[in-house]
Amino acid sequence: MLRGYLYHLQLTLRLNFASRQALIYGYAVPILFVIAFGAIFRGGTPPLLHEMSQLVTISILGGACFGMPTALVAERERGLWRRFRLLPRATAPIMASILTARFVLIASAAGLQIVLARLIYGTPFPQHLALFAASFIFVASAFLGLGLLVAALANDVPAVQALGQCVFLPLIMIGGVGVPLVALPSWAQAVAGFFPGRYSVDALQAGYSGDEGGFSLAFNLSSLLAIGAAAGLAGAKLFRWDPGHRPSRSARIWVVVALLPWVAVGTGTLASGRWRPVAVPADPAAALTADQIDSIDYRGLPPDDSTVTPVAPPMDARDSAQPERLKGLVSGLETWPPGRVPNETQAVRNLLCVAAVADLNEDPLEGLIARAVFSHLFAHFNEQKLTQSLAWIILHPDDGTIVTSIPELGVPGDMESGIVRNRSTLYAKKVLGRIRGRLSN
Amino acid sequence: MAEAALSVRGLEKRYDSIQAVQGISFDVAAGEIFGLIGPNGAGKSTTLECVLGLCTPDAGSILVRGMDIRDRASDVKGIIGAQLQTSGLPDAMTPRQALRLCASFYRRAARPAELIERFRLTEKADARYASLSGGQRQRLALAMAFVNEPEIVVLDEPTAGLDPPARRDLHELIAAQRSAGRTIVFSTHYLEEARSLCDRIAMIDRGVVIALDVPEALIAKSRAHPRIEVRTRPVLNEADLKNLPGAVNFTLDGSTWQIGTAAANRTVTALAALVESQGAELQDLKIHRPTLDDVFHELTGAGAS
Repeated sequence: MLRGYLYHLQLTLRLNFASRQALIYGYAVPILFVIAFGAIFRGGTPPLLHEMSQLVTISILGGACFGMPTALVAERERGLWRRFRLLPRATAPIMASILTARFVLIASAAGLQIVLARLIYGTPFPQHLALFAASFIFVASAFLGLGLLVAALANDVPAVQALGQCVFLPLIMIGGVGVPLVALPSWAQAVAGFFPGRYSVDALQAGYSGDEGGFSLAFNLSSLLAIGAAAGLAGAKLFRWDPGHRPSRSARIWVVVALLPWVAVGTGTLASGRWRPVAVPADPAAALTADQIDSIDYRGLPPDDSTVTPVAPPMDARDSAQPERLKGLVSGLETWPPGRVPNETQAVRNLLCVAAVADLNEDPLEGLIARAVFSHLFAHFNEQKLTQSLAWIILHPDDGTIVTSIPELGVPGDMESGIVRNRSTLYAKKVLGRIRGRLSN
Repeated sequence: MAEAALSVRGLEKRYDSIQAVQGISFDVAAGEIFGLIGPNGAGKSTTLECVLGLCTPDAGSILVRGMDIRDRASDVKGIIGAQLQTSGLPDAMTPRQALRLCASFYRRAARPAELIERFRLTEKADARYASLSGGQRQRLALAMAFVNEPEIVVLDEPTAGLDPPARRDLHELIAAQRSAGRTIVFSTHYLEEARSLCDRIAMIDRGVVIALDVPEALIAKSRAHPRIEVRTRPVLNEADLKNLPGAVNFTLDGSTWQIGTAAANRTVTALAALVESQGAELQDLKIHRPTLDDVFHELTGAGAS
């Protein structure tokens, strides 16, 4: 039996890698998904960190609910399974080999996605590798169980596509797999609680970034286990060797058995009161983690007394000597509308532009103006929020809008926006470095 | 008969409204080549599928070397080899891989390389299945049937769809297994193929065995007369033919007479003299003995092939 299992496994993998179609669906499509997701979710910090679990779930879903049943049904249609049935003690090893081979193919595609995301977008590897691997096994098992059921129900390959889409599309569109839950209306989020996609994404994300999502990891994994086990049992009960045999009348009962855990899990989440709609964060900077903020590098910053991004020493000792224009600017900052917009990160960015434009104008008070802006920031913003806003500006230098001329504060100019962004970012680092104790004041 | 290699008793199988097999019984002795013949839909394949465990009979019993296939399926599968009528392989799989795969499930199996040589697949051993001709695919299917060096081999329409050279090729391979002492049970709707290969034949029609015997005995039971087919120029007169000794009936088909005879030797001798005496040119002369098809026709009112 072991010999048969091993040779069938080896042969299945070899034939898969010899098939152009299998390579396209198994590897090229997942790579395209990485690129597409990278283009759509490029604003992440770093990009794709919170979407990798969606990407991996899509790959598992495609391989388990399309790839495996398509291969199984095509072989059954050719009569290969009738031939296998003539072999002694072959059922268990062949089924085990098929599931193992598909798991290997899915895992390798997911691994490829993770490495590519790292290389292209700098997306970190899973933070909790063992947890990620365990979640991956649960997710893959659940969807392979569904794949077995699809193979048992489909009479031919086109029927696999139709049945597979019945699983794939709802999960992608309103199941939290393709479209993020946060982008869905609350009714769709509630419906997603009935689908295994949401639990898959949350379980994988727990391993990826430590973010468990709305439910506990144990609940997510238990839900996947129940859904996969019921589907696998139904698939085994409805398994057909012969293409001439059609699903019996009892097939409907087994389909109901397979769907029961979906209903139970969804109803359970709603009835328990644990379900909450996922809200859009007010300020994306608030989602930054301490690790991301700590990762900011302050090396190579121009010194405070240089001509680039100068900063004058603290002004307390020199208050009496403040030029009148500077006093006007300090009081003007208090009411300057761009410095008071509701989006705090944008307000901080606008204020930093004041220092940047003065610097680029080679204003005689450039160092003092920068110091005045720093003092304004320290005085008017909560330190934690200021930290997150500054970090966001540094990590997303192209985000938001900038101000290139501020005549109302006595800092006129007509600067090229790119260079103003660059100077604003440098000033943001100088402020953040002081807050984090990485730069002296 | 000593313990039968295969014993089928009262086999019945129904598919929805169709009674495919109704009470079929036969025994196959060890070392025998046993043929099931009959038209398409007669119940041959269903009978063999029941023997192989591919479908479950509604009634009856099947013993292989005394083992009931329902109770000892794995043991039976270990000593039976089979070639199925519809059994393809993935396009990219090679004959060597297919044989290795089958062999890996048996405790005792022939070496794939030896099977490749025995079934004349050496040139295509590592070619994709998609590139094999119909004859090569059938030879591979046959090789797969022998992968476990089986005591009993079941072949379902092994020559169906093959051209005459490929069919002859396969006949040689099957006949060669007789010397290895294997029991072979095969179905065909080519009656002459069954006559030339089989020790005994069971004729099946509409799910029932209508005759079972050695081929010559089945033919001997035929009430059909030998038939002389003669073509001359000019065409002979019917009045002259009626005087031929032994001649019992006459049919003119174009310029060819079909003459049924109860005494072929005497009729032919007299016919040759008649042609000579009339100065006619003899263009064709054939003698047809009764065939299994004639027997089948007499028993069922329809031809088998």
